[in-house]
Amino acid sequence: MSWAQIAIDGLALGAAYALVALGFVLILNAAGAVNFAQGDLVMAGGFAAIVFVGLLPLDGIAVPGLVLAPLVALAGGGAGWLIAEVAYRPLRHRPPVAVFISTIAVGIMLQHGANGIFGAAERRTPPLVAGEALEIAGLTVSPQTLAIVAAAALVILLLHQLLERTQLGRRLRAAAQDAEMARALGIPVRRLTALAFALGAGLAALAGLLLANVYFVTPTAGLAFMLKAYIAVTIGGWGSLRGAVIGAFLVAMFEVVAGRLYSASLADALLYVALLVALLLRPAGLFGEAAGRRA
Amino acid sequence: MKRFIFRYGAMAASAITMLAAEAGAQERLPLLVPITGALALEGQSQRDGALLALEEARQPAARLQYPVYDTGSNPQIAVQAFERAIGESPKPRAMMGPIDGNSMLALLPLAEREQVALLAVSGTARLTELGNKHIFRFFPSDAVVKAAQARYIVEELKRKKVAVVYQNTAYGQSGQEQLAIWFERLGASVAYRNSVPVTTKELSGVIAQVRESGADVVALQLHSGSSALFVGQAARAGLNLPIVGGSALHQPSTAALLEPGELKGVCAETASAPAADENPEIAAFARAFRQRFKAEPDAFALATYDAVTALFQTWQSGRPVSESLAAARIKGLAMTYRSDGKGNMAHDAIIVCYDGAGRTPRIAKRYSRPHEDARAPAERR
Repeated sequence: MSWAQIAIDGLALGAAYALVALGFVLILNAAGAVNFAQGDLVMAGGFAAIVFVGLLPLDGIAVPGLVLAPLVALAGGGAGWLIAEVAYRPLRHRPPVAVFISTIAVGIMLQHGANGIFGAAERRTPPLVAGEALEIAGLTVSPQTLAIVAAAALVILLLHQLLERTQLGRRLRAAAQDAEMARALGIPVRRLTALAFALGAGLAALAGLLLANVYFVTPTAGLAFMLKAYIAVTIGGWGSLRGAVIGAFLVAMFEVVAGRLYSASLADALLYVALLVALLLRPAGLFGEAAGRRA
Repeated sequence: MKRFIFRYGAMAASAITMLAAEAGAQERLPLLVPITGALALEGQSQRDGALLALEEARQPAARLQYPVYDTGSNPQIAVQAFERAIGESPKPRAMMGPIDGNSMLALLPLAEREQVALLAVSGTARLTELGNKHIFRFFPSDAVVKAAQARYIVEELKRKKVAVVYQNTAYGQSGQEQLAIWFERLGASVAYRNSVPVTTKELSGVIAQVRESGADVVALQLHSGSSALFVGQAARAGLNLPIVGGSALHQPSTAALLEPGELKGVCAETASAPAADENPEIAAFARAFRQRFKAEPDAFALATYDAVTALFQTWQSGRPVSESLAAARIKGLAMTYRSDGKGNMAHDAIIVCYDGAGRTPRIAKRYSRPHEDARAPAERR
């Protein structure tokens, strides 16, 4: 297996991690606290796709993931909105620790809910695009790998356009930067915070659909994604959307390259060593805030 | 089906009725199983197998209680569950223990303290090597199934350079240690050995290393999800080596994650394969299980079913449960169970293989006491 092949696998993994990390940062910026349910929202996205497969009236026809993607993202968005109203808003004036405890609680509820409804077995979602693996210049590339990279790239581009080129995006950024000032200017901060939760959760759910086809989904799968997103955001820089995307690709590439050179167990440990080194050398991350503390 | 229910149901019912009549009190069989956590899938199989045996046997006169306690795939939670179960009235004389070896190891001293028989389906070899007289394992230990796995690789597939990929958990460590012993005894070399965390999803690096090692076969000792990930990614990477996995690969829920083509040529060791076995009694069990739980049964469900049924039989003797189980010879559905003096009740194993046409494997080889008849090939000649 060539290094180019390893890079392709890492690229697809990084693309999915990037969606999780982007959602993480959107919520972090809006709420000023970490959403520890982000990984469980990835898991919930995988299971939501399985539910939609059962609900769609397509007897005997394989439902492509492309059809499911908007439904899953919408369902995730709805869940995010609910989390904002139930687990964030009542606690927003309390110390940040209250919000992260409440999001941990949401994550645990999602886990146990999924376990109760779907059971503990691994499940698999349909591929975005079905088909045989392609041979390109001696490399084996599955259509799903290409679809994951393309879908993630499209979503990241759309999100960038939304935040940078629209009035809604400017308001979202204004509310995230200084909620009091934004409120004084008549910007509906409460609704925009809920929207950020919805966007973040929608991205996580979409990542869940993409990842669950290749890596399966279980009720307890969320923690690993949460940790990867946390590391990606720490390396990329707290609060930086660009940093989250680059951090996610770095984490994924590190994972597959270290796994190729050493062992999977060592690669896991080395990732945390690399994180510590990155924090020592560049505490604010690659594109992070120069100063500031987050819960 | 009727014969099946009549035979085993009547046997269990009569045992419980007699017991209740003799004791004049309720009997409790707490089911300590991981319903959540990393081994929740196996724990659900355990619970469902036990529930099927209990529900088929249950008679109003018997007044048998069988509360389920979630051990969360965690020794600490397992200990708390044991203390709760033992503290409730009436005090149980036996318990079904969790499938994970670490939790079982934590419960052994408690079973000794309370003089409670602990039924187990965990494969961790060490459980029965500590001199505890209250553990009774109804699933073959790693010493048995790994002997079958290694012998199938060397004797049937004629492969001599093995790549061993195992989980970095107690389950994985125990299995790979047994595999190393057996490969050495059978004259095969381990060309590659590496562990994989449960959280690692991308295994392309491991597969590349296996390919470069020059191994001519892969032996897996991975949990369900990692097994499916390895098999699927190996197929997509064109590894083209025979894969003989641990018991997780026989589970219908594992096979369901893979396309039939990805499973072609993949084999697995296990104690039984109720979804694939044509034995009429096992087939009847599988039908009853599907009807009750809307799921395919696996070897853990059948082993737990047999364990509970065996417990009913030994209750009839009126002797302490541990004493009765230690002396009993019990004909179960999967095999005949008899203690080896250490609490190992199960001594048979099978190898199942997938043909690439579907997700139901066929039984390729049956081994009776494979660990007692594995001389080196040279010696055998």
